[in-house]
Amino acid sequence: MGVLVTTGRTILAATIGLGMALGVQASGYPDIGPLPQLKTNAAKAELGKRLFFDRRISGDAGISCADCHMPDNGYAHPDALSPGYPGNGHFRNSASLINTAHKNVWNWDGRIGTNLNDMTREMLTEDYIMNMDMRIMQERAKQDPVYVQMFKDAGYGEPSNGSVRKAIPEYLKTLTSRNAPFDTGKMSDSAKRGMALFKGKGGCMQCHNGSLVTDLKAHNTGVPENFDVFLDPMNHQAFVAFTMFQGIPDYMNLKRDPGYYNVTLEEQDMGKFVTPSLRELKYTAPYMHNGMIASLPEVVEFYNNGGGKDSRKSDMVKPLNLSGQEKKDLVAFLEALSGDPLTGSGFVWSEEYPAEYPVIENWRQVRN
Amino acid sequence: MNLKKHTPTLVAAAVATVLLAGFGVTSISIAGMEKGGPAPLAPLGLPPIPPDNLQTPAKIELGKLLFFDPRVGGDASTGCSTCHEPDQGWAWAEDFSRGYPGTVHWRNSQTIINSAYFPRQFWAGSASSNEKQAKSAAKGGVAGNGEDDLMEARLALIPEYRKRFKEVFGTEWPHIFDVWHAISAFERSMVQRDTPMDKYLQGDKRALSEEAVRGKSLFEGKAGCIQCHNGALTSDTDFHNIGIPPNVRWEEDGLAQITFRFEQYAKGQTEEGYRTAKSDWGFYYRGKNKWDRGKFRTAPIRYVKYTAPYMHNGVFYTLEEVVDFYDRGGFDEDGRTTDFPENKSPLIKPLGLTDEEKSDLIAFLEAYSGEEILMEKPELPEYAPLFTKAQLEAAQEAK
Repeated sequence: MGVLVTTGRTILAATIGLGMALGVQASGYPDIGPLPQLKTNAAKAELGKRLFFDRRISGDAGISCADCHMPDNGYAHPDALSPGYPGNGHFRNSASLINTAHKNVWNWDGRIGTNLNDMTREMLTEDYIMNMDMRIMQERAKQDPVYVQMFKDAGYGEPSNGSVRKAIPEYLKTLTSRNAPFDTGKMSDSAKRGMALFKGKGGCMQCHNGSLVTDLKAHNTGVPENFDVFLDPMNHQAFVAFTMFQGIPDYMNLKRDPGYYNVTLEEQDMGKFVTPSLRELKYTAPYMHNGMIASLPEVVEFYNNGGGKDSRKSDMVKPLNLSGQEKKDLVAFLEALSGDPLTGSGFVWSEEYPAEYPVIENWRQVRN
Repeated sequence: MNLKKHTPTLVAAAVATVLLAGFGVTSISIAGMEKGGPAPLAPLGLPPIPPDNLQTPAKIELGKLLFFDPRVGGDASTGCSTCHEPDQGWAWAEDFSRGYPGTVHWRNSQTIINSAYFPRQFWAGSASSNEKQAKSAAKGGVAGNGEDDLMEARLALIPEYRKRFKEVFGTEWPHIFDVWHAISAFERSMVQRDTPMDKYLQGDKRALSEEAVRGKSLFEGKAGCIQCHNGALTSDTDFHNIGIPPNVRWEEDGLAQITFRFEQYAKGQTEEGYRTAKSDWGFYYRGKNKWDRGKFRTAPIRYVKYTAPYMHNGVFYTLEEVVDFYDRGGFDEDGRTTDFPENKSPLIKPLGLTDEEKSDLIAFLEAYSGEEILMEKPELPEYAPLFTKAQLEAAQEAK
């Protein structure tokens, strides 16, 4: 499947752009603040919503976007490793899509640094993800009168691949944090103390900064490998296919996720992953690129111990000597970054999809 | 059903082919080469073997496994044998092939029996070898919908395949390119050369019934079938518009309409062609010449007893319907014909066959089928982890 591999330069340039837009606080890191609102087109977003929950936009019509990005789980998946396409597994944790429209780099390894249109195409067409031939997807959409009307109402004309790639990102723009205690100013005292630790002694702010609470850069924190990637051939085949296609040297013998190395092919980037946003963590366990850490207290413990073991681990990650109370405060702050669940009908397509494609009547007389 | 276990003989035949046929010299007569008329009917010789993919028993056996293995496909549900079922004539017994889950195909699945003899594969000749056919079918969106990287990755995680690919091709890891070679080697072993008609042509005059002998005369004479169905293969391997009407399923089945438009799109139709096409334009898609609209490759008469329905879009379910169609000069019972009558072959005209002549003709057609070739599906080798936990722990430690 076609994959656009962005260069490291593209990502860095994009990242700098975001940092400048947000303003830099005295410590040198962009402060954590509320997310700006995103303007959305209701008709386009509604179409994107129907597409997002529609299994017919995967190759064998077996899975939808929402099967790996589940509303009840913060548009992530509760398993350590994403399920992947039927017939194979996956090798990374399904990332939350809440606030994804605020990002400018996507995938744990940062291989897409352009826009959500490209990211949507990547997820739809990648063989171990949705394995969709987009020409078939287009013709499926044209066979469903509901879509024909919705594409028209959205101003896209007749259904097309290009419009699917625009409508899904428009829907994703609606998936943004709402009423997080941090944003509303209604944080508990414990959370407030946690915020001070976050910005100070915990050092979290070094990478988790700005409104998204991420620098969107790649770092190596020494997260241990998830052996299920390699011991389960269903997951391993997806990993092998991915690394083969991406041109990673010696991919058959690889026993670790190369991470950002995939983008740069520079040894120093081996094992780096893009800093995730810390918003909506309440819903999106387990954590890290491979789901190796099950809960927030364990995440805090991981960093308190100075991260994991890796010779290329970032210098920013070192033992923190947090007390028991400090750890609890930090967790309280992290939880205060989660807002309302986005599980209502405003976000989730709840109408049935037709069990069969209706026939186009007078087929020989009408234009295709 | 009579389960015919034929692997050893086929392997022997295939190996002998290499010795006899030398460097791919075909032992069949090519239609139209002879002056003064179509190539005469002849017993089927050994199939041509390409010099870059010689037959070996180990390769054929590996190809057989791969042919039956649905992991050579998109979601590990749809392999070659899924649409080329041994007990459905190594084809699919519906008008359109079943296609990848979530789709239906738009053409009839052809038998792999004797596919080895064709210089071009598929109904419109889009693949120039079995190897290329296997690849296209495994990857096509309404067929296998597989991708090279994932299919190759799967095979690498199956120890039995690693062993066999190394033995056959000498590679450390299975290569997808070699998958198509092995499958083709298996297909080239799937030939039928001992039909009643082959025996008859080799001198056994008792091999055909009297009806079939009369049918042979009609085939070669009054009915004119031999004009295209000639030579040892009973196909000139060329492309003709014989007047097959579009399948009405496109007017009645939403899923089929999706695939219909997808095919116009995927095959590089013009915008206007995509908007207006209401039938399969066939050989047109190769060279985009308007005179090729509605042309399809002459199907062989061989093995037809087991491969209903017939024609590129499976519109006829019995040989009786087929003969009636030709008898009417290329019209079905409702008077329907090709969307491109201007391209219809002048060879197709009303035949004026009597009922007895029709049944004689069918008796002859059936004499081109020997015993049904059946095969038990092989037990497929299983995945196994490539690394041990200890190896992974050591790698983690060394990070």
